[in-house]
Amino acid sequence: MSAHASTAHGNDEVNYLNWKTGIWSWLTSTDHKRICFLYLFAIMIFFIGGGIAALIMRTELAFAGPTIIKDPHLYNILFTMHGVFMIFLFVVPGIPATLGNFLIPLMIGAKDVAFPRLNLFSFYVYVIGALIGGYAMLNPVDTGWTFYAPYSTTTNTSVSLMVFAAFVLGFSSILTGLNFIVTIHQLRAPGMTWMRLPVFVWASYATAVIQTVATPVVGMTLLLVIAERAFGAGIFDPTKGGDPVLMEHLFWFYSHPVVYIMVLPAFGVVGEIIPVFSRKPLFGYKMVVISSMAIAAVGFIVWAHHMFVAGISDFSAKFFSIVTFLVAIPTAVKVFNWVSTMYKGSISFKTPMLYAMAFVFLFMVAGTTGIYLAMLGVDVYYHDTYFVVAHFHYTIQGGAVIGLIAALHFWFPKMTGKIYSERMARIAFAFLFFGFNLTFIPQFILGMDGMPRRYYDYPVQYQTLHTISTIGAYLNGFGYTFALVNLLWTAKFGKVKAPRNPYNSTSLEWQTASPPVHENFETTPVVDHDPYNYGTHSHA
Amino acid sequence: MLGLLGEQGSDFAHKVDYAHDVVTIISVVCTVLIVGVMLYFAVIYRQRNGKDHETPAIEGNNTLEVIWTVFPTLVCIWVAWLGYDSFVDLRTPPANAMEVNVTGRKWAWDFQYSNGKKTTSELVVPVGEPVKLIMTSRDVLHSFFVPVMRTKMDVIPGRYTQEWFRPIKTGDFQVFCTEYCGNEHSKMMARLKVLPRAEFERWLADDSEAKKLAAMKPSDMGKQLYVAKSCNTCHSLDGSPKVGPSWLKLYNRQGTLTNGQSYVADHNYIKESILNPSAKIVSGYSAGMMPSYDGQISDVEIESIIEFIKTVDGSQKIEPEVTLPKRQDAGASAASPADRGKALFQDSANACSGCHSIDGSRMSGPSFKGLWGRKEKLADGTEVSVDAAYIKESIWKPQAKVVAGYPPIMPGIYEGKLSEENINDIIEYIKTLQ
Repeated sequence: MSAHASTAHGNDEVNYLNWKTGIWSWLTSTDHKRICFLYLFAIMIFFIGGGIAALIMRTELAFAGPTIIKDPHLYNILFTMHGVFMIFLFVVPGIPATLGNFLIPLMIGAKDVAFPRLNLFSFYVYVIGALIGGYAMLNPVDTGWTFYAPYSTTTNTSVSLMVFAAFVLGFSSILTGLNFIVTIHQLRAPGMTWMRLPVFVWASYATAVIQTVATPVVGMTLLLVIAERAFGAGIFDPTKGGDPVLMEHLFWFYSHPVVYIMVLPAFGVVGEIIPVFSRKPLFGYKMVVISSMAIAAVGFIVWAHHMFVAGISDFSAKFFSIVTFLVAIPTAVKVFNWVSTMYKGSISFKTPMLYAMAFVFLFMVAGTTGIYLAMLGVDVYYHDTYFVVAHFHYTIQGGAVIGLIAALHFWFPKMTGKIYSERMARIAFAFLFFGFNLTFIPQFILGMDGMPRRYYDYPVQYQTLHTISTIGAYLNGFGYTFALVNLLWTAKFGKVKAPRNPYNSTSLEWQTASPPVHENFETTPVVDHDPYNYGTHSHA
Repeated sequence: MLGLLGEQGSDFAHKVDYAHDVVTIISVVCTVLIVGVMLYFAVIYRQRNGKDHETPAIEGNNTLEVIWTVFPTLVCIWVAWLGYDSFVDLRTPPANAMEVNVTGRKWAWDFQYSNGKKTTSELVVPVGEPVKLIMTSRDVLHSFFVPVMRTKMDVIPGRYTQEWFRPIKTGDFQVFCTEYCGNEHSKMMARLKVLPRAEFERWLADDSEAKKLAAMKPSDMGKQLYVAKSCNTCHSLDGSPKVGPSWLKLYNRQGTLTNGQSYVADHNYIKESILNPSAKIVSGYSAGMMPSYDGQISDVEIESIIEFIKTVDGSQKIEPEVTLPKRQDAGASAASPADRGKALFQDSANACSGCHSIDGSRMSGPSFKGLWGRKEKLADGTEVSVDAAYIKESIWKPQAKVVAGYPPIMPGIYEGKLSEENINDIIEYIKTLQ
């Protein structure tokens, strides 16, 4: 590294972005920070694709009766595409594969992840999965992202290919998770004890455990769907002694924990942002850590709450309802601790803090509406209505995606070495937050009125709320576009250089250069304090 | 309390709504409190003049952690109990409940009563008495959701599931399919009709429709079955391709299958396609869209449908009785418009009388008695008063405004078949039926 001596001019400094140049040096890089960007660009393609599908659907739904989409089959393809792109190709790799990659080694004081080449390999596994999925779109799937049998085993669209794509993507997720677990266990810098790990690392650790344990199950399930289609295996076919409800069990055994894969890292992000902008230690650090692990553990035994009306026994329904409430408690504990962190703080409202505070509100809505769905008698009414759609989007968009956007703003100076326009970022935030709520609050009310989901058309009594929701969706989409264009523009053309530690943070990733050098730290750091070492002790 | 879920139609609905309202109040109070405290902190502890002030290094408080672990736990136990309590009622049908068999199929609901009476897309039940639905699916997953009754259950191929309710009021209520099932998922609705006991008994005992069907000549019966078996959802009569091939000139048609072989749509082919739809798929169409009717349809019914298909022929559409000039000849020059309308109404080629009575009795479509000027509530909830424009639209574009409580099954075959003049005559005839 010292081969490139720094010159007197700051902009000639050697860092991970410029120490090698050319597209090939990026595509073959095993540097975790560069792999973060590879993932970022890849997942953004699917975020945009899934977002456009959503806007086309919302446009169709703005008014009752067929409007811009003449064929219900096309509508069914669009909501499948929206789900598959957003879940498997955007949100699941979302925070872990991008910011997890960038931050975990920096936060624990390591040069890279434990297996850098495996890291690059998981990215290409992701690319292969994405290409297979893209190829499957030539005869687009119309099953919904849930692939329920026997619809998925009998429809004439290329379900097998799409399911195989999800299978391959699962391996990318497993490999990334394994890599992070080993990294966190083995590569912590001297003095970086487990109880000094930033909560983002803890959240990523919990996420990685779920990734490695749950993903193989969905892999098997998806292979069974292919076996069913290709060889008539009969596992989900009642005429051969199979059972379609078994498919739902296997699917949700993965796909419920996957919700925590999506949202736990976002919890971690919020836990990083609030202390910095409050100048306070994270309140109840241990409880926040324990609650992350508790959510990950309980997440494995609640899957059948997606199936209260799927024909499972009443006894099972009662069991799964009760355990589902166990998720509410650690989640509530987290919220209380975040808010308490602000007590007697010195609070500044930079864009990441605005997103973090918005997150607290959105997640309160997501969490409390989740309570309705855990309640047996109420869920029977709400199951498969727009209430579930709205709840789910508050959790995943209001939680995971807002968490990702917050994180991109927060660590942007570290990632790019530039400072974005605070004004532009705040305007984007305003559109995003307002548009999001305008989209989904009407959908809660639609759910109360009994509007079923996955409907291409609906009785005219639902029209007003649908129209409002569509207007919200456009504002929301505009907010995302604005926010991302602001960041992209700054990364490319921005002139304001970021200092090492623009927020005066005490956690490790801010103690190295912005952007960091190729192997992160000039010298191996030695850690001698907690990650949120803010404020003064009253009795020193 | 809050009435957020709307009209209550079953005796356990209030219990579900109570649980719902309690959790709504808890949720709103908690959200407002927590977000309120956050905003309060944000305001009073905000950084001033862009400079940080000194902050205390508070790392936590065990008492608080205990309080905010225990308090949500207690709330969760209470709320879980409320959800559980309402669920128990909802899943426990009384032993004396009237049973109705329900079959879901792409994309309609069939109902069968213990006396053998069958309906499609309309479930009729008596008020005040428990009704248990024994449900299964012919093809993929469906779900039977009656919002006013607050109940829902998935309908699964290869096994039976059940749901029940005791209606507390009469009226027409919406039924939705809430498990995604393919192209016409959002059209897979049914009407729940709750009648007073006596009226229900009369309705249940009334087998005139079944008898009428039995007395019909095969092609007419086939025409009725075309609608009753929901063939019309996917097969047009005018040559336009829908989910399946049109029946226009279908009989003895030759063409290519998806596997490259050719086919002739003869008796054997049609029968096989009804009983085993995936055996031969016409090129350009998809397998797996049509459910098998094996066990759902008798040989007599299949033959009737084939007889009907034979009549669906573009070259035959100039049936002598149907064309306007002949009609005027037949109706005699002196006939009044109302008489000509009556003749059109009775003409078997138009088959209006197959679905519309003139004595106020209920058939597949609204009765013509007292129709003129009547206010009709439509399936989409709006109201329309019956005038010339409405009748004309309803004849030419039957699905445009469907009256609440009736299935949207009138074929769109009259545009081009009945002229504006014909329709005016029919209107004059309807006006006489007061």
